[in-house]
Amino acid sequence: MKNDFRNGFISNIPIGISVFAYGSVLGMLCIQKDVSLLELILMNTLIFAGSAQFVIVEMWSSSLDILSITITALMVNLRYFLIGASLNPLFVGSTRLEKFKFMHLVADENWAVTINKMKNEPISPSFLFGGGVSILFTWSLGTISGYSLGGFISDPAKFGLDFAFVSIFFALALSMYKGKQNILPWIVTALVAVIVESLIEGKSYIVIGAIAGTLVAVFQEKKESNG
Amino acid sequence: MDNITLTSLLLILGISLGTYSLRVSGLLLSNKFIENENVKVFLEYLPSTLLLALVVPSILKEGLTGLVAILLIVVCMYKTKSILLSMIIGVGVVALSRNFI
Repeated sequence: MKNDFRNGFISNIPIGISVFAYGSVLGMLCIQKDVSLLELILMNTLIFAGSAQFVIVEMWSSSLDILSITITALMVNLRYFLIGASLNPLFVGSTRLEKFKFMHLVADENWAVTINKMKNEPISPSFLFGGGVSILFTWSLGTISGYSLGGFISDPAKFGLDFAFVSIFFALALSMYKGKQNILPWIVTALVAVIVESLIEGKSYIVIGAIAGTLVAVFQEKKESNG
Repeated sequence: MDNITLTSLLLILGISLGTYSLRVSGLLLSNKFIENENVKVFLEYLPSTLLLALVVPSILKEGLTGLVAILLIVVCMYKTKSILLSMIIGVGVVALSRNFI
């Protein structure tokens, strides 16, 4: 058990390097958006979800639109429901308390490393948890470094830093490409988002665009399995 | 520095609670919920469509630079699957265009 924790921690250090790098970008953006250090640390430890934190900071302003931000962030995090479900085999034989304890520190990275490891050898949930602690460590180190550095960069837009969000999210979406069936839903998403954004003020275009594209995917899949 | 408003505290706590619930309920409800094919497809597509809906309007606002940047990101992801490298390319293209063009 002890070994599993330590192995999990160590196995997540290589991927932790890129976690550190993203974190430092988020930290710099926090300065731009006037997010305080305390708010950043609370998000790191309590939310502990990189892409959602990027979304939250992106939508951050002096007058916080709590409802839109919460809905959008939780929709971005909906995949954790699936991630949780996929960890079912790891927790066979675990108590309910262990499930509640270990599931908080589950991020994309330590989840992926754990799933990969599970294919080759039997491991306990401690491996997942060790990985979570490892990612929490690199994520905090990265975001706080970026936050400390961010104050020295007077005009982040000049360096294209505001485009970091866009690039990361776009690349993340592409990384979810499974095949040709993705193309139509994605095009519909983009079109609806652009049209709604130009017509309706605020951030509702995100959720409306996403749901439109996702419904296309559901109908498309239905048609395929029927025909 | 260490200022936090009640609004932002509530926001962070709300999202934290929601995210934790998603993680735990996914594990506790495994198998049951995901039996439904429509729910499965919906949940599978939501992350990518959300991310796209979030960024596409910002890309178009950047004009030609934005299009060049995402084209290079598509190539980069196809060849390397590195999100970090994609970020560097995207930021690089925009920085170059803002400073030199």
